[in-house]
Amino acid sequence: MRLAFVGKGGAGKSAIAGTFARTIARQGDKVLAIDSDPLPGLAFSLGLAIDHSPPIPDDAVIERKEGEEGPRWRLNPDVDPFEAVDKWSVEAPDGVRFLQFGKIMGDPRDLWRSQMAFRFIINKLPAGRWNVVGDLPGGTRQAFTGWGTWANTILIVVEPTAKSLLSGRRLARMADLDPENPKKVMVVASKVREEGDVEMIAKGTGLEVIAAVPWDEELAEAERRQLAPIDFAPDCPAVLAVESLVERLSEEKVS
Amino acid sequence: MKLAVVGKGGSGKTTTSSVIARTLARSGRAVVALDCDSNPNLGISLGVGDEETERLVSMRQALDEGEEEHANNWDTLISRYGSDGPDGVRLAVVSRIDNPEPG
Repeated sequence: MRLAFVGKGGAGKSAIAGTFARTIARQGDKVLAIDSDPLPGLAFSLGLAIDHSPPIPDDAVIERKEGEEGPRWRLNPDVDPFEAVDKWSVEAPDGVRFLQFGKIMGDPRDLWRSQMAFRFIINKLPAGRWNVVGDLPGGTRQAFTGWGTWANTILIVVEPTAKSLLSGRRLARMADLDPENPKKVMVVASKVREEGDVEMIAKGTGLEVIAAVPWDEELAEAERRQLAPIDFAPDCPAVLAVESLVERLSEEKVS
Repeated sequence: MKLAVVGKGGSGKTTTSSVIARTLARSGRAVVALDCDSNPNLGISLGVGDEETERLVSMRQALDEGEEEHANNWDTLISRYGSDGPDGVRLAVVSRIDNPEPG
């Protein structure tokens, strides 16, 4: 399974993605959770208290030499994507491996080689060994500039607000960005509070809603305390909804 | 006054900006609200509606596609890429949605 969570900022992507990754891992499957957001998020929802992982080193990408053909930057041929994942990811609870492209500590420009390497590694990671669960930053920028091309399935997290619906409608275009590898795009309704919310989200996005995660004070409290929802409140309605989402996707044999 | 609102996604930037803009306008100031988000939705919070928000976004998009002329001064920019919102706030969409990469 290669699945990316996208959506407007604050919709609940990280909390859902972290819980999703942990749930798959508990079933005994190998999971690589990836975070391409330069602000922290997914690590907390996975249960990594502080993310100490060093960014991928700059020499993981090399620049085209003068006179050579092809793109200006590429993955260093000495870097094997499988080994790279083993080497530069860190272990999260339940055996989830976590890889991120570096967090902004000083000048964000210091990160860009590491970010490029991250993107090459994920794109070149052959199918089979890893289930990949990705958390993209909020909004449309990364989603529309190639940061989700590795995924087969896109889950748009949408809450019942006009702004979130608008983002959801825009993000629906991810289905056809890469005509050779069309993606399955579905919606996860988030922060559902009232009867009619799910219908509003289905109508407002024009997409299939595959799961509804309810508004949940315990989930909010986990976020406040910087804890993984699945550790802090394993039986809360939001966590149970993510677990049924995992079940539903495996029934539908989503790739 | 020139004021920018920043923060993590979903923390309430757009809502806060729109209330500040409307409140200033109600106190009699001339207010221009600039949407600098790569996923622009300030129009919804200001109250111009999602259709008008999308119209402004497509105007901005047309600029990149060469179908629209660049504005060479502030007044032209505000009139061409802007729209009048409630309380007389003038909204302009400044940033574009990143163009999806071609196949």
